[in-house]
Amino acid sequence: MTKISEMPVVGRDFISNLKLPSFEKMAWTKPSPANKRRVSIVSTAAISKRNDRPFSWLAKDHRVIHKTDRDLVMTHVAVEFDRSAWQQDLNVIFPLDRLTEMEADHEIGSLADEHYSFMGAADPVTMEKSAREVAARMKDEGVDTVFLIPI
Amino acid sequence: MLVGFVREHIEAIGPARALFLDFPMGRGMGKPNDPDFQKRVIRAAFKLFEKTSGPVLEDFPETIPVLQGRMGYALPPELVLNADDIGDVDELVASVSKEMDALRNDYEAAVLSRGRTTVGASQLRIDDLAPFIAQFVRGEFPKSPRKGLPAIPLLKLAVEDLEAYYTETRTYRDKIDNLELIGSWFWENTSAGRLLLSLEAVSLVSSDRVMLQIVEMSLMAPRFWSNGPLPGSSAAGW
Repeated sequence: MTKISEMPVVGRDFISNLKLPSFEKMAWTKPSPANKRRVSIVSTAAISKRNDRPFSWLAKDHRVIHKTDRDLVMTHVAVEFDRSAWQQDLNVIFPLDRLTEMEADHEIGSLADEHYSFMGAADPVTMEKSAREVAARMKDEGVDTVFLIPI
Repeated sequence: MLVGFVREHIEAIGPARALFLDFPMGRGMGKPNDPDFQKRVIRAAFKLFEKTSGPVLEDFPETIPVLQGRMGYALPPELVLNADDIGDVDELVASVSKEMDALRNDYEAAVLSRGRTTVGASQLRIDDLAPFIAQFVRGEFPKSPRKGLPAIPLLKLAVEDLEAYYTETRTYRDKIDNLELIGSWFWENTSAGRLLLSLEAVSLVSSDRVMLQIVEMSLMAPRFWSNGPLPGSSAAGW
């Protein structure tokens, strides 16, 4: 396992000094049965449809990606994570095809129509308004399972 | 359900259900073009829904090793250009152009094969990327040709488009999935990499606060995982 203490100095210092959010109460919800789940992905990769507005460097907002969208670009400000993998295969960061297959195989109930992308370099505390908008859209389309995938 | 790469952070935050992935950053489902591996990650994550109380944090049993604790490619700290070392920028741009022409057939084949490309976030033409970047290397501050996006944010997207053009081509042409090899090839062995290191050198002595911030925060050249900050900077931007 890669421990923070084993990381090179610049990255280690940055990651060690991040102020982490704390929560008074853990949100524990009872899951739906596997074959009834409606799943939506939330990514921090700052990906968006090609003609969407690029994310600003400390963006508080989000972009919506439909389950059929594949022509996506990334406007994340940070460069410390590997981009060569997603260049080869979108599913390595945003597994729409895998979840579509799992829907067909009845491993999940359904893949939601809408999925969401945020700028992972920004402070999540500033995203509350946007997060609430996303939650409302998810409720509107019956999403009961959120798959959070950082970059 | 959360998956994540930094176990200590997941422990500290305590989400209801989380799966720790011992992978390089940028590879949440592990391996590109490996649907079986990707589904094993998803199934392991979703299996945590069977737990009746939490918080739950489990480790995905398969790992993808990283090099010396770094979660992505990093430039060698000693590979730094000085603004005085840049030389003739026109010659450098011509060399990049020649390099890009040599890659073009394979780039187009890669796009055809994959049915997509990630190049184009800047919305500049591929042939305009290097000349646009070169203006900054010469110390000019061109007006942004893209409405609603200032020149420096556009510059950053142009840098990423240029790199993606090369790396999409190489991963396809040579069937390579090795982030260290791809990173060292582009940044240490191509004229495009040298153009971007020249841009870094110019930015480091720039009077423009944002240009300086880009290098101080390793937002252009990959130095976040280097064994030490960029010489001449303190990495204090972070």
